[in-house]
This record gives sequence, C-alpha cells and structure tokens, in this order.
Amino acid sequence: MTIAPEMVRNLAGAAVSVELETPDMTLNIGPQHPSTHGVLRLVAKVDGERAFDVQPVIGYMHRGYEKLSEVRTYPQITALINRIDWVSGYANEIPFMVAAERLMGVEPPERAQFIRLILTEMARISSHLVFQASYPLELGAATPLFFALRERERVLDLIEMVTGGRFHPNFNRIGGVKPAVGAGPTTRKTIQDLPAGFLAETRDAMDRVLSTADQLEDLVAGNEIVLARTKGIGILPPEVAIAYGVSGPNLRASGVGFDLRNVSDYLPYHLFDFVVPTGGAGDCWDRWWVRLEEIRQSASIVRQAVDSIPSGPLQAKVPRIIKVPAGEIYVRAENPKGEMGYYVVSDGGLGPYRLKIRSASFSNISILRWALEGALVPDIIAIMGSLDFVLGDVDR
Amino acid sequence: MTPSPSDAEMTEADGAGDGRSLVDRAADAVGGVALQAVDTAKVGVSSDRWTETLRIARDELGLGFFSWLSATHWANDPQVGDALSQEVTERFELLCAVSDVTGGELVVFATDLAATDPTVDSLIEIYPGADWHEREAREMFGITFVGHPRPENLYLPNGFVGNPLLKSFPLLSREVKPWPGDVDVEEMPADGGGA
Repeated sequence: MTIAPEMVRNLAGAAVSVELETPDMTLNIGPQHPSTHGVLRLVAKVDGERAFDVQPVIGYMHRGYEKLSEVRTYPQITALINRIDWVSGYANEIPFMVAAERLMGVEPPERAQFIRLILTEMARISSHLVFQASYPLELGAATPLFFALRERERVLDLIEMVTGGRFHPNFNRIGGVKPAVGAGPTTRKTIQDLPAGFLAETRDAMDRVLSTADQLEDLVAGNEIVLARTKGIGILPPEVAIAYGVSGPNLRASGVGFDLRNVSDYLPYHLFDFVVPTGGAGDCWDRWWVRLEEIRQSASIVRQAVDSIPSGPLQAKVPRIIKVPAGEIYVRAENPKGEMGYYVVSDGGLGPYRLKIRSASFSNISILRWALEGALVPDIIAIMGSLDFVLGDVDR
Repeated sequence: MTPSPSDAEMTEADGAGDGRSLVDRAADAVGGVALQAVDTAKVGVSSDRWTETLRIARDELGLGFFSWLSATHWANDPQVGDALSQEVTERFELLCAVSDVTGGELVVFATDLAATDPTVDSLIEIYPGADWHEREAREMFGITFVGHPRPENLYLPNGFVGNPLLKSFPLLSREVKPWPGDVDVEEMPADGGGA
C-alpha cells in the first residue's frame, strides 16, 4: 500500500512513500470464545482486515449419539436427543417420537398433540430469546440480554411446570406425553394432566413475551451501531442457502418462505393462523429480524392453542414394552434452528438398527466458509452470531 | 411427514404433477426403483449413476435443497446392538435426502456400496452442502468420495484408526463397563396393558 504525500498532512511537502508488507497471517479463533455458542474453532487466513479461506473446525462436542442410539431402546433415546440442541431440548424430541409412532401406527391423542405443540413453540420462543440476548451482546450491546433472558426464564418456568425439566424435559412418550409431575411411568394412578393454572399462566406469559419483543425491537432496531454492523453484512443469496441445506430462520431471512410447519403434519399446525416472516436481503439484520418476528408468531400460536386445547387422554394405548415394527422412515420438523429430522431404520427390535440425526446447525454452519470469504475480521463475529447455532446441534 | 405416501396409499395422495406419487415420479425420472419406506419417498439407484441421479433430482425434479447424506451399514454379527432378524449381504446403503423448498417434497435416494472399499463419486459439484456430510460419512463408515476436495476428518482427531459407525466397531464405553441399567431393571407388570 502506498501513502500519497497529500494524505500525510503533517509532513506536507515531504516525499513519503511507504510500502506496508501485509503477508497472510493465520488467525485462530476458538475453540473457547464467547461467540461460538459452545466450542467451535475457526482457522482464518487474514490479509490486512479481511479474512480468507476460513476453515471451521468442529467435533469438540461430538458425543456419538448415532452410535449410542444403536444400544438404546426407543424410550431411552429421548434422554439423548434432548441434549442435541440444548437451547430447545424439547423440540428435539418431537420428530423422533413421530417417527417411532408412525412406524408403529400409533396416533397420539389430540390433547397430547396440542401439549406437544404448545411446548414446542415455547422452546422456539426460548431459543430465539437466547439469540435476542446473545446476538446484540456479540455486537457490543449488553442491555437486550437482560430483557430477553428475563422473559426466557418465565418461559422455562412454564416448561418446567409441565415437564419437570427446564432444559431436558424428556417428556414425550411414544403415543403421547408423560403424565405430568408425580406419576412415574409405572405408577398406577389416575393419569394426571397439565398442572393447575398452567393455561392461565401461559396466557399471561405470552402477553409478556409480546411486550418484551416490542421492547427488544425498540432497544435494538433503532440502534445505529447495530444497523451499521448488520445491514448488508453477511448476505446469503437464497440459491446458495438452499444448495447448502441452510434451513429455518436463516433460510427465511434470505427470502425463502419455507417452513415445515406449513407443509408437513407432524403436529397440528394447520389449525392455527400464523405468518411465516421472510427477509429481503438475507443479511445479518434480516436474520435478527426474522427471529424477533418468529417470537411474536410463536406467542400467537401458543395463545391460540391454549384457547382451543381439547380435553381427553394424554396417551394412546401402546404396549408396555415398545417394539417398533421393521421399516424405514424419515420425519423432519421445523425446529427453532431449522430442519431437524431423524431417519430411523428399525428391524423390529427394542431399539433402532440405525438412527441418522439430521440437525439444523450442522448444515447451517457448513456455509461459514462461503459466508466468511473476504469478510472483515470484526464481521466474522457478526456473521457467525447471526446464524444462531449451537455446537451440540452441530456435532451431536 | 413428506406428502409422499407409502406404497399402500400412493395412488392419489400427491396432487402435484400428473397425479402419480412423488416416489414414482422420482423413480421414473432417475431410472431407479421405488423402495419400501413408511411415509417417505425412497428411490434406489445403482452407484455408478449416483451423481447423475442427484443432478436430475436437482434440475428436473426441483429438489434443490440438500437435506442430508449418510449411510446404513448392513452387517451380520454386529458388535453393538441387536443382530438383524434375517441374514443380509454385508454392504453399505448410502442415503441422500434432497427436498424442494415450496411444497416440502423430499426424496431419499439410496445406493448400495460394496462392503469392502466402498467408493462413490462426490456430490459436491451438484450440492455444495454435501461437503461436510460426505466428510462425516467418510470418517464414520470409511466410504471414499471420489472428487471430494478435503477428505479429512470432521469430528475425530487426525490419525484416528477405525470407523465408529461400522457395526463391527465396538462401543468402547460398554466394553469397559456394561450398561449400568442392567442392574436395576424393574419387573414388568404381568398384564402387559397400556399405560
């Protein structure tokens, strides 16, 4: 780089010509870094302020769930899959349960499906609130974190009220949901139901979630620094996102209005009115905005579901010892982070012969190398954070 | 889950196209066979037509969304899990699921690979998203993807010996200590009725 003499005002008149050497430097980021949502390592080549050939290094959270599933029974596997994406543990259970149920030809009762749907949407709200907390923090704004996490705590309280667990509810059973707190799986009691007051408290909580979403929008959306850090940064064109298998809010931010809740019937979403927010530019800003809007939509779905939940049993009739007939099935669901699916190969035994876990974050961050090519070093964090991944969901 | 029906109900469940089911349309387009799966369109092709198949899927069937790629190791006498109820020819079944992003049609393409030295062409030119999935299948099953630019381990440390998802690969934690759940199994109630 050459500095023109007229640029150097203090040395006006002096002949200055400095050639700065900027050889490629290898920059290692992680595996321990607050913005990596777990343990992700990036190895970037840096030329001046720009990064090239960024290689994500994953595997620090690899727990081998696909292998472990081969020695577990179907009911035991829910305890594992809760821990894939621990920010929305409940939502992970649904596609696996539906896969096993469809192989068995079991249909969970309507009330159980509504409870699953309500809790799934709560998991989505809580996952997106974590994003609303952490993403501004990664850009340098600490305040939204307190608003978002306060509300998330209330949502987690509700999940805990029903399931007994905040993060790893392990609440679904093949054919329905576990009779709530107090009744063990072999306890012969009258099947218990949702805890008293849950529906009313949920209505209140959803009102608060909606007002918190407004507060977050006020706090973040008008902030010039946030706008400067996110608008036009990390643009993912829709055709690239699709070819890489990027799904969920990241795909919708690129303008593709694809939502598995609308096109598949793993839960009765067709009974509810909601819109699928999409972005226009596919930049970091759109990804932030889509997730904020999805919080509002999910709160609306939960309110509709709470108002229309039918009464009835929580569990379909299933044998005490779950054996899943031989067959293969792939069931996918719209998880907070995107498409989560399970390919189950059953040989008729107590556990699957093979379980392929398709997690959203794995495909979502496989695009990092493409997205970070030529990005400014400070934008690495902005782009990475906007993809909202969890390393447990990447490595499984 | 996908709008594609299983064999039993494949006549009119799919409204798109000429009224034939997704699995039939896909099998015809790629010159493969419809395979048995529940609520899932699964199409088998031969491994020498693997890349051609996925190219047709993307360009003619509109399945541009790369969902996942993995494999099933069909083997007798597994080290982990229960043995299969019937003898099988040992082989790998490579699976690749692709979808559209409008109606949510998803097709799982499958091809059989030999048990020893399984090799297949890489899909990375057709679907860049196949990159990590193929690396995962490579280290977990030992499948070689010809044309993959970075055939390196994704999860395991470099130099790791073995392919963990092979049925012949023991689950080391169970070798060290048997499943602790074995000791506290409750007796099941005798009637076997529902919960």
